[in-house]
Amino acid sequence: MRTYSPRDLIIVGLMLMLLEYMFMQLNLGALQKSTLDLLLFLGALWLAAMLIVEERFDPYRIIYSFSWSFIVVVSITYIFLALALQLSGVARSIVYLLLPLALTALAGLVKVKAVEPLIQGRSIKSSLGRIPISRRLQLSLYRLDRVMIAFIAISLAILVAFLITPVLSIFQYSILTPSGEPWYHNFKVIFSDNLYVRKIFIGEPKPWEFIRRPDGTLELVVTGVNYGVLVNSITNAVIVTVVATALGVLVAFALARYDFYGKTFLRVLAVVPLFVTPFINSYIVKLIFGTGGPISIITEALFGFKVRIESLAGVALAQIMAFYPIVYLNAYSSFISIDPSMEEQAENLGSKSWRLFFTITLPLALPGIAAGSILVLIFSLEDLGAPIVFNEHNLMSYKIYSSLIGEAGVVTPEIAALGVVLIALSVLGFLVIRSYVSMRAYAMVSRGGRWHPRTRKLSVVGHVLIYLLLLPLIVFTALPQIGVILMAFNVMALDRFSINPAGFTTKYVVEAFTGGSPLAADIPMHVRNTLTYAITAVLIATVLSIIIAYVVSRARIKYVVELLDVLATIPIAIPGLVIAIGYYYYLSTLSSWGLEWSRGTPLEGLFIAINPIYGELGFQAWIALITAFVVRRLPYTARSVFAGFQQVHENLEEAALNLGASRLKTISTVILPLIVTNIVSGTLIGFIYTSTEVSTSVTLGAFNKQQAPVTYYMMYIYKAGTTEAYRYAAAVGLLLIAIQLIVVIVVTLVLKQRYAFIGI
Amino acid sequence: MATKVRLEDVTKVYGNVVAADNITLEVKPGELFTFLGPSGCGKTTTLRIIAGFEAPDKGRVFFDEEDVTFKKPYQRNTAMVFQNYALWPHMTVYDNIAYGLRLRKIPEDEIRKRVKWVLELVRLEGLENRFPLQLSGGQQQRVALARALVVQPRILLLDEPLSNLDAKLRIEMREEVKRIQRELLITTIYVTHDQLEAMSISDRLAVMDKGRVLQVGTPQEIYFKPRSVFVASFIGRSNMFTGKLVERSRAYAKIYIDELGVEVEGVIEDSEPSDKVIAIVRPEDIAVELLGASTSTNNNVLRGVVEFKMFVGEKQELRVKVRDASIVAYAPKNLDLSIGQEVLISFSRNSLRALPYK
Ligand SMILES: Nc1ncnc2c1ncn2[C@@H]1O[C@H](COP(=O)(O)OP(=O)(O)OP(=O)(O)O)[C@@H](O)[C@H]1O
Ligand SMILES: [Mg+2]
Repeated sequence: MRTYSPRDLIIVGLMLMLLEYMFMQLNLGALQKSTLDLLLFLGALWLAAMLIVEERFDPYRIIYSFSWSFIVVVSITYIFLALALQLSGVARSIVYLLLPLALTALAGLVKVKAVEPLIQGRSIKSSLGRIPISRRLQLSLYRLDRVMIAFIAISLAILVAFLITPVLSIFQYSILTPSGEPWYHNFKVIFSDNLYVRKIFIGEPKPWEFIRRPDGTLELVVTGVNYGVLVNSITNAVIVTVVATALGVLVAFALARYDFYGKTFLRVLAVVPLFVTPFINSYIVKLIFGTGGPISIITEALFGFKVRIESLAGVALAQIMAFYPIVYLNAYSSFISIDPSMEEQAENLGSKSWRLFFTITLPLALPGIAAGSILVLIFSLEDLGAPIVFNEHNLMSYKIYSSLIGEAGVVTPEIAALGVVLIALSVLGFLVIRSYVSMRAYAMVSRGGRWHPRTRKLSVVGHVLIYLLLLPLIVFTALPQIGVILMAFNVMALDRFSINPAGFTTKYVVEAFTGGSPLAADIPMHVRNTLTYAITAVLIATVLSIIIAYVVSRARIKYVVELLDVLATIPIAIPGLVIAIGYYYYLSTLSSWGLEWSRGTPLEGLFIAINPIYGELGFQAWIALITAFVVRRLPYTARSVFAGFQQVHENLEEAALNLGASRLKTISTVILPLIVTNIVSGTLIGFIYTSTEVSTSVTLGAFNKQQAPVTYYMMYIYKAGTTEAYRYAAAVGLLLIAIQLIVVIVVTLVLKQRYAFIGI
Repeated sequence: MATKVRLEDVTKVYGNVVAADNITLEVKPGELFTFLGPSGCGKTTTLRIIAGFEAPDKGRVFFDEEDVTFKKPYQRNTAMVFQNYALWPHMTVYDNIAYGLRLRKIPEDEIRKRVKWVLELVRLEGLENRFPLQLSGGQQQRVALARALVVQPRILLLDEPLSNLDAKLRIEMREEVKRIQRELLITTIYVTHDQLEAMSISDRLAVMDKGRVLQVGTPQEIYFKPRSVFVASFIGRSNMFTGKLVERSRAYAKIYIDELGVEVEGVIEDSEPSDKVIAIVRPEDIAVELLGASTSTNNNVLRGVVEFKMFVGEKQELRVKVRDASIVAYAPKNLDLSIGQEVLISFSRNSLRALPYK
């Protein structure tokens, strides 16, 4: 019997696509069209089911192939998006091209991962005879002693109370609809309204055009096209992800595989964009791409016009510059952890450099790169700094933000629905990539002994290429952070990218610390807020991480372990703004519900304190903020602690249990002392991501400004538009850079942990 | 008084692997009992069930008459030596050994005395203040043993404790373990996949395959009276033939051997006439003689041609071709043989065992 390859499925897809194209030429009515669509879809589904059930397609041909599984993941995402956005024309036809492959792969996955183990498990269980319920209960209780049960209960309770419920409350609000409308009304609006998905373009400014200024200079103004809030967000995120991935992989490959003078310097410089300085770095990107920036200077000298990049185009550029190092770090560590013998083997067989790269090196590094890319996608979707600075209102993140801190003080169900769409996009992407990455985790397993990564000496031409292309690129992407420092010391102008060493003064930095000027008066208070919240939150997160990591690495109850593992990592994929609206709904509901029965009791104060609606009159923003910080930054501490647990062989623990130590005793005398460096570095990394947090700080913080963290203040300055105050914002940025720098140095040099960006 | 261990119907399933399959056996007080079997047969699983790191899906575990099936590891007073020793790298040798004693709230000067005693027992005096990573493999192994012994456990559990050592040290440590076990008379359960180790160290052993215990007995019983083909082939070397049971009398049976085309006499266990059987003869039970110089009184005599010979120490190993079979046998080293020479090989009817064909 003939079996089919993935390539055959693409050919089938091609035929489906042609079929669909022919139908479209037939001038059919809407009903007939959708019937035909349904028929084509059912045909593809039938084909997939038949191929899998009759074993004429081997699912492992996809699961074990890097490139095919990657193609399948991309195809599924594409199909999902194309259907959600109701694309038409060629974009829709491509769905049919990919459909047979995607469906067959899914059917195969279901068979291999769910059906087969179930059938095998059944036959074993039946040969074992029935295990009585009482015995099963005894077995589960045995696996979970009291400490384990307490750990599971504590961690689930915290995650349910402060992560799941707030997020679910958004779902609940998103289906509140005007009377007479179905429950999905708000979603229908988001997927069809002209605000979100634009179909009418009238009087639209051109995506780019030349403008002659009154003073006679010529300017090229690039803005990008506004396709509506939903499409903009997705397009922007996709573009940012693709470009950032390409850049990151390129830089990582050059740095991982070639030796040249100044390499260490470039490696350090390449991670500079990861130093978070909210708002002010985007502002500097705006200056860089403004009429007074380096780009304009170059184009004016060469072609006689200046360049100004604004709106969507500016947001994309700022995000690419800020996020590409995430891919770079992941790709770099993937490249250097590839066993050189694999590449040598391929070379022996005659594989030449390009071929080698595309057939061996890239596929092996793909899981790491994919993990980095999905983070870029998520970060781009939820980013608030760039949209605020470029004043771009037509993005999902900005819409949510502006409605949260809007004058009206009410968040409409439509915004909740927008939050649901945002969370669905990022969580789905995250989960798909997560299973893809863990499925091929074996590729990254090192075979025992250490090796020296393969590097090559570069020729003279190679050096020239590196210095002409790579060096400017890396320096360029580090400019925002450099600009922040220059601005803080008054070496850079406020409205253009020009440097004036004579202006050097420490005045702004000093005043930011002391609050010794009217514009900076509140800074010390906000810095104190940030430090208090970040330290408290990160300590709680660390304890919670230890508890969760212990359960995940030691409890032998599959579902509990998987659930906790996902819950502890998923906050990475939940946009901060979604957490913010979630908390808003959740806290105000909880409060009004609590106030009802706690009248006159001391608890009344607590229920007032947690309600953002009371604002400055009684809302204790710190409670909400610390809780949100714990939940949002949990993955950063949890991953590090978890890595520690994985290094401690279970036997070390069992040896103690065996000698008579209880669980808690074992944890405190054997495990914690062994993983203390992992814990400390997790705490430190969590600390920097907490102290630079933006989304919940600027939203929940806005309800009680006295208690807002310093990132709120940076945004406040920016919104207030007092340009003079930018220097103070830059000084705060400098402080944040300093904190991050110290942590990175401590983690890498003192604790000797690898500071890679968080993996999935 | 040492403790007796009894497993009753113990079964453990992992996903779709049956790691322990209806294991029932008894370890006598004070004996050194070994689980022997190939990799993945469930030895560690069984040991971990006894230690309490896992609970069996079915069946029960008893220490003396006490049912400990669902007792926690820290309530069982067993002590385990792990294959990778599992010494705590952040504690000195002294602290490693004293750990269990401190948990038992024993006064510090008593602890000092006991640690000194156990270090003498395992011959490691003077290394108290080293950290595990500063010790050699053999020393680490002894620290692990000391850590287990010092708490005077009811049962000592050893999971392939010697497998990380080199061949010479392994033999030394084997004797050491045996000596200490004799001295303290602790009920000891030992796991290994090395048949020589199992044969030399155990009072009794259980041979396991695919989660099942195939045979329990003394090393001699296991070696000379294997009750299944697996046991016979796993332990020592043996010649195996397929055959048919022709006739069985009270003590002996007549078996037709397919490969040799003759009938031989041997011992048989539960088979009916005309049943297919596997016949097994150990090479050391076979006598090799020159034609015309036969002095043996063996009932089964065959004629064959020397196919291959090799000197192995004090004897020579031969392969003798008889019809379709190639029989491994040993000859005294002074017997003058050449390849292609015809010889007589013979074995007694007590040394041929016929087992049911499965
Ligand atoms: N925690 C576990 N989860 C799933 N399967 C397991 C687990 N522990 C053991 N197994 C499976 O049970 C079977 C028996 O394993 P066990 O470790 O008991 O073998 P073993 O006889 O000790 O082998 P070795 O000599 O290699 O140590 C193996 O197939 C193993 O894969
Ligand atoms: Mg084992």
